[in-house]
Amino acid sequence: MRDNTLKYLLVLPAVLVVFVTAIWPLIEAARLSFTVGRLNRPGSLDQYLGWENYLWAFFEEPAFWNSVWVTAIYTLLTVGLTTVFALGLALLLAPGGRLRSSAQALLILPFAMSPALIGVSFRFMFNPEFGLFDAFFGIVFPPLADVSWLADPQLALAVVVMADVWGWIPFLTLVLIGGLASVPRDTVEAAQVDGASGWRVFKDVTLPQLAPVLAVVVILKSIFSLKTFDQVFMLTNGGPGTATQTLSHYIYFNGMKYGQIGYSASVAWLMVIPMIFLTYAYAKFVFRKADQ
Amino acid sequence: MAEIKLNNLTKRWGDFIGVDDQSLHIKDREFLVLLGPSGCGKTTTMRMIAGLEEPTAGEIWIGDRMVNDDLPKDRDVAMVFQNYGLYPHMTIFDNIAYPLKVRGTDKSEIRPRVEKAAEQVELTEFLHRKPKALSGGQRQRVALARAIVRTPKVFLMDEPLSNLDAKLRVTMRAELKHLSRALQITTVYVTHDQIEAMTLADRVAVMKNGIIQQLGTPDDIYNNPANLFVAGFIGSPAMNLINGSVTDGMFVTTGGTRLVPVKSPDREKAILGVRADDMHVHEAGQGDIDVTIYAFENTGESTLLTVQWGKQRVIARGDRHLRKDQDDVVGISLNQDHLYLFDPETEDRIEM
Ligand SMILES: Nc1ncnc2c1ncn2[C@@H]1O[C@H](COP(=O)(O)OP(=O)(O)O)[C@@H](O)[C@H]1O
Ligand SMILES: [Mg+2]
Repeated sequence: MRDNTLKYLLVLPAVLVVFVTAIWPLIEAARLSFTVGRLNRPGSLDQYLGWENYLWAFFEEPAFWNSVWVTAIYTLLTVGLTTVFALGLALLLAPGGRLRSSAQALLILPFAMSPALIGVSFRFMFNPEFGLFDAFFGIVFPPLADVSWLADPQLALAVVVMADVWGWIPFLTLVLIGGLASVPRDTVEAAQVDGASGWRVFKDVTLPQLAPVLAVVVILKSIFSLKTFDQVFMLTNGGPGTATQTLSHYIYFNGMKYGQIGYSASVAWLMVIPMIFLTYAYAKFVFRKADQ
Repeated sequence: MAEIKLNNLTKRWGDFIGVDDQSLHIKDREFLVLLGPSGCGKTTTMRMIAGLEEPTAGEIWIGDRMVNDDLPKDRDVAMVFQNYGLYPHMTIFDNIAYPLKVRGTDKSEIRPRVEKAAEQVELTEFLHRKPKALSGGQRQRVALARAIVRTPKVFLMDEPLSNLDAKLRVTMRAELKHLSRALQITTVYVTHDQIEAMTLADRVAVMKNGIIQQLGTPDDIYNNPANLFVAGFIGSPAMNLINGSVTDGMFVTTGGTRLVPVKSPDREKAILGVRADDMHVHEAGQGDIDVTIYAFENTGESTLLTVQWGKQRVIARGDRHLRKDQDDVVGISLNQDHLYLFDPETEDRIEM
């Protein structure tokens, strides 16, 4: 058998699995998005509507735009905060950084928790009566002690963002530590001897060489932020009202709770579009790095 | 321009001693070479001078300032790293200009100075390229240009030629020598290559296990090695070291051959050192002793004879026209003006 044929045969199972579990559902969802698609109305899954569902989302549903808005803010905040914190921690923890391994082991812990668990534990921590933060503020800053964090729209979003940032920092820190380790120490030391201050060494030498890894981190985290669901579901269930309703949650709500599968599918497809861009960018960065 | 003083400098990692209580006074404008086998603490010593490594104990003086607590950026040194440490994302121009930029040099001044430095190392046509697009020798020259673009108090060079192929190394060695003479800046140069050390240095400090074994001019080190280690390390091929004793003013090999007269009181154990060039090759029967050739090598400019001498092998250098073969028998005589005697216990040289 020729090497090439064998190569294709070997990846074939993987391709099949991806097709059955990812591509086919996508295609089916695309089809459903053009139907009436109500779970409680027999036959409606084959009842074609044209672009009606999409138009409905765009022009008749403030809740859709709300969830777009929430998702956008949520993504911007979580990506920004996680990246900045993870980078700071990575600089402290990297070989030659100021902290070392024991701290590293401790830090990975949050990543070992499932997002749903993070959601639940944060819900308890922010409970206004017996939560950790209630107790904490009771001592440090009493006026904040009895705030109902999850009942206030802005604060609730802040808590959701915080829980996510908390959960994601460890993994991204590890990725960035790896990235920092691949920045040649020689170049950093050369800059120090050349007369650069700590900040200039970082800005002129470390950061530019870390840029490809940083880009991967930002893209990867954006993908995960865009599709956040389980944490929101467990922590606030989208509330209060729809203040923390992300797109995924909105899709789930309409599809599973209200049975509007056709409409949900159309919103889901609207979400696929930015995802495809991000995934493409991600693949480009990862493979460009591998090429070098 | 400045002298460097290391006072009782020590570097330890846990129990491991990298540099052991060493003092060294490097004169203003001197080219000092730290020479020693891999792992003997040369780089560590240099990194402590640069401020990249913190001494466990001891003082470092550059000029009239104790710099122990100064950051690398404040020590006013320029360093050439073994792997050059070029900034891969910057052009060659920006690489060379970096020390000027971070030190706030006037914009109008930067370009002419970078161009001058590039010219000195013949890099002018590559200024717009990135390091990746250069050969090893060219990268090495960029590192050099980045060091000479300023006038620092001190140059530090860590095996700058070790990544180059043999031919380029010889060329670059000459260029370095020329450049250092022209610049007249105090230089500390680290290498494990004794030829580099001999050719470049004003003075050489030979190191072993974190301790300077001998400090002296290349002539000194070659002609008056202080101990067995220096004797064996300097010179190519290495000095022959023959085990034996001194009896009635003669050196007697362990095999019992009464070899040469030496000016030393009798001692039970001694090591005789003799360089290949001081072992003269004759026809069998015409030297002090007849030996069998173990290997015959012709290097072009001379011949090298490894001969079996009792249980030991020694190397003699022969005339370039000499032609012998393995297992031939030749006579050997020693040049009695250039013999060294060492104490095998202390490894120190015995004056005679
Ligand atoms: N950061 C470090 N931690 C522990 N040991 C080190 C460290 N850096 C160097 N050493 C050890 O110190 C010794 C001297 O190293 P170095 O100065 O680099 O030797 P060289 O003479 O080859 O330049 C070596 O045995 C090396 O393994
Ligand atoms: Mg070294």
